[in-house]
Amino acid sequence: MPEAVALNLAQLAFVLALSPLFAGLLARCKELVQSKRGPSIFQPYRDLRKLFGKDERVPEGSSWIFRTAPYLVFVVPLLITMLIPVLTSFPLFLAFAGDMLAAGFIFAVSGFFFTLAAIDGENPYGTMGASRTRMVGFLAEPVIIVALFTVSFVANSTIPYIVQQHWVHPIANFFAPSHILLMIAFFMIILAETGRIPVDNPSGHFELAMIDESKALEFSGRSFALIKYGGYMKFTVLAIVFLNVLTTPWGLAGDGSVPAVALAAGAVSLKIVALIVAIVVVESSYSKLRLFRISEFLGGAFAVSVTAMITQLLHL
Amino acid sequence: MSAILTELNALVLGLFILAAISMVVIRQIGACMQLFILQSLLLAASAFLLGASPLSWHLIALGCVTIASKVIVIPWLIRSLVPAEVHRRRELSQAIDVPAALLLSLALTLVGYAFAQHLARSAPSLSSGNLAMGFAGLLVGLLLLAVRTEAVPQLLGILAMENGAFLAGIAIAPDFPLIAELAIAFDVPLLAFIVGLLTRIAYRQIGTTEVGALSALRERAP
Amino acid sequence: MIVYVPVVALVAALWPAIPRSDRSAPIATLAAAAATLALCFIAVASAHGSGELLVIKHWIELDSFGALLLTLIALVYFTASLFSWGYLKSERRPQRARLYYANFNLFAFSMLCIPLLAEVGLVWIFVELTTLLSVLLVSYSLTSEAIEAAWKYMVLTLLGATIAVLGVLTLFWALHSGGSTDFTWSGLRDGASRMPPALLAVSFVLLLVGYGVKIGFVPLHTWLPDAHSQAPSPVCAMLSGVETSVVLYVLLRLRGVYATDAALHVGTWFAVFGLLSVVVAAVLIVRTHDYKRLFAFSTVEHMGIILAAASIFTPAGDVAALWQMLAHTVTKSFCFYAAGATLLVTGTREISAVRGLLGISRGAALALLFGGLAIGGAPPFAAFLSELAILRAGIAAHAYALVAILAAFLVLAFFGVLWHVTQMISGRPEAQRLHPRMPAACALAIVLAAVPVVVLGLWIPADLGRLLESAARILGA
Repeated sequence: MPEAVALNLAQLAFVLALSPLFAGLLARCKELVQSKRGPSIFQPYRDLRKLFGKDERVPEGSSWIFRTAPYLVFVVPLLITMLIPVLTSFPLFLAFAGDMLAAGFIFAVSGFFFTLAAIDGENPYGTMGASRTRMVGFLAEPVIIVALFTVSFVANSTIPYIVQQHWVHPIANFFAPSHILLMIAFFMIILAETGRIPVDNPSGHFELAMIDESKALEFSGRSFALIKYGGYMKFTVLAIVFLNVLTTPWGLAGDGSVPAVALAAGAVSLKIVALIVAIVVVESSYSKLRLFRISEFLGGAFAVSVTAMITQLLHL
Repeated sequence: MSAILTELNALVLGLFILAAISMVVIRQIGACMQLFILQSLLLAASAFLLGASPLSWHLIALGCVTIASKVIVIPWLIRSLVPAEVHRRRELSQAIDVPAALLLSLALTLVGYAFAQHLARSAPSLSSGNLAMGFAGLLVGLLLLAVRTEAVPQLLGILAMENGAFLAGIAIAPDFPLIAELAIAFDVPLLAFIVGLLTRIAYRQIGTTEVGALSALRERAP
Repeated sequence: MIVYVPVVALVAALWPAIPRSDRSAPIATLAAAAATLALCFIAVASAHGSGELLVIKHWIELDSFGALLLTLIALVYFTASLFSWGYLKSERRPQRARLYYANFNLFAFSMLCIPLLAEVGLVWIFVELTTLLSVLLVSYSLTSEAIEAAWKYMVLTLLGATIAVLGVLTLFWALHSGGSTDFTWSGLRDGASRMPPALLAVSFVLLLVGYGVKIGFVPLHTWLPDAHSQAPSPVCAMLSGVETSVVLYVLLRLRGVYATDAALHVGTWFAVFGLLSVVVAAVLIVRTHDYKRLFAFSTVEHMGIILAAASIFTPAGDVAALWQMLAHTVTKSFCFYAAGATLLVTGTREISAVRGLLGISRGAALALLFGGLAIGGAPPFAAFLSELAILRAGIAAHAYALVAILAAFLVLAFFGVLWHVTQMISGRPEAQRLHPRMPAACALAIVLAAVPVVVLGLWIPADLGRLLESAARILGA
């Protein structure tokens, strides 16, 4: 029992400690590709430390939603960390508390309150960003649902730990067409949900073109730090879901011993770095889509996921 | 056929139909051509995979012929006959918008699947998946032909339909007379040549390659 | 020996490649066509004598059904090359004229090969070749309408060809799972009883749709009026006269294979498509505004008549169907020569713009009148006897509904054609442009083409009758 608690705490610590590092790595890689030097990979830590020390200002007409949303955005990824396999391949004691659909709903809670807080902030750009985020969200929903259905057809379950087992035994399952197509569809969803090119430009400064960034404009000080931290952790958690559950469930610890867990932490970090490289390649190759064409992009993701489901259902 | 070859073939088939569906919605004409090249490569890959075990030189030869004619000769023909300016263009007019086209092609894929599953029960074939994706590819190519107004995507639609027909063919008729297949290898580049020539003529004479928009010939009330 | 038939056309196709041959190209074409016709008669006589001619077993075979078609193709090739000579005299660009002749000969070559081949896969290839080689001919005049017509023709027909190739592959699959791999006409007939019914049904649908686009069945006919009216008139004669008939020949050859499965209701499907074509074409004939489109719709109608006759499945019906094919070919080519002459003399395709043709050019007007009467099915022309034979065969087989609909719409089409033609001929002359005189070659072609139309309406030579009957036996086998 204490071992299980320790492992859970280790997973939380992994996500908490390393998310800003991964965000910094992503920013640095993008700059390197563009032949610039780029900021240090530890810059997000410094930003967070600075922000935690700053004063906070709250808009006059805002309500409790504005004050509580940052805490929700921070806590939700941590909750999800306890449901998915981060470091171990055997289920921990909270694993059966919720499956992937539940994880999706929990993410939706934080997104819901964050959107409301953006409207609550009385900044017109915030409202605009909120409505755009909702549009991207509802277009991405069918893809995620269909992807989850496909996975459940394959593994007869939607619990992440069980799904993960299916893709590795036997190895030929990795090359199943539904698997490859699911990978492509889910990668496109990650790009959409974390606000990367071609859906949104994360390093843009022009408010009229922002989708995700403009929601956070009104926050300051500790709230802003919590929101940024929550954003980094959301990216890490989505990456872990993609890598450890759906695509490459290797390198996880088979038992609870300290060396195995340490090795697993290293392996998972390496996989996330590989994903970061892939994202950087995609971001550097394409330009941001015009707003009305996001529906075409996500429509394409939908087509890919439905093709995955068809190929699975008809046992190709 | 061994399990890994079957899975790889299934992967190739999934990517094949995905290439066909992407061709329906992609608006850049040069990109449409690249997707066609990808689709032809996948067709050749499927031929190689099906001919790998038990070894069939017939299918491997067919794969090589496909690569030679559809991956090398035909794109070269189309690029040299149709003026370069056309290839850089985006197609602006849409008969149906992109999400509707995607949904329709998915529906057609399902129709093709259902049909082929029904057929596959009547007689043995090398791979029922090939038959399913071949029919689906044919139907999606038909959709491509119907919704596009530019000349080059319409030509690519016909060629995509042929790709679908041959994807089904390599599984259901693996020992189709080789001479017929060699003749087909010469026939398809001739098709591309003549259609490319007609496109060039249209571009020179009418000034546009948006042939779907031409509608002078129809029955009028006398 | 019969191998030389298409080879001569191929050689003539290469002749315009010689520089400065624009004067000699038409003569070379005409010579090749005459040689082809002569070789054809010789080949047909020898095939008829022995019943079947095998040159390379499984690949090149000629039987009486094929011989009938070969003769028709060679005949139209000959008259069309004669007409082209006169038609292209007004062509100012020698480069274009040479391209025309090269293309024309290649087109004839591809059509001539089809009745000679026994391997079904190769037949498909040559059917697709006939499309490819005629597309540039349709767009010859380089107007916007001609290019549109050529593009529609190309797209729809190649679409049909691709559907047909899947049908051919499915048919091979069916043959293969029945145990045989002899993919020739005779091999298919022998293996038909062992084919799985589901595959047979699927290949039937695919081939009916795929080849049906090329033949011009309603509702797959939308390219036909455009292509057959915008092309130069000798090419129209080849397209309407023989090309649709050749593809119909391929479909009819397969009728015996599909008829072995009674659940397919081949007769019903043929009757439905045939009658639909006749009905729609007759209505459109009445409403048309362009006299070349008029003749093109008439082609759709006649293809429907032949298919309806073939749906009766009796020997009398089969003979009547093939007789109709023969009559249609000679009559339709004549009609298009008449239309071509009218076009040369008046310069317009619109019916409403031509009045008083009799005053402008006696020859063109008379030719148009005779053509209209002949294609409508009036006595004493060839089509009258064949249509009567079809109606009689239908009554004898108790297909009363078929006969009634057929008769009614044949009469409608006849009135439609004649109304338009008489409107054009009578009245005061209005349009007078281009040549007031027809080139001599065109006039000679019209006269030569008129001979079979009239002769066959009065008397069928005994040899021809025997050829028709043995061809019908092959069709019905």
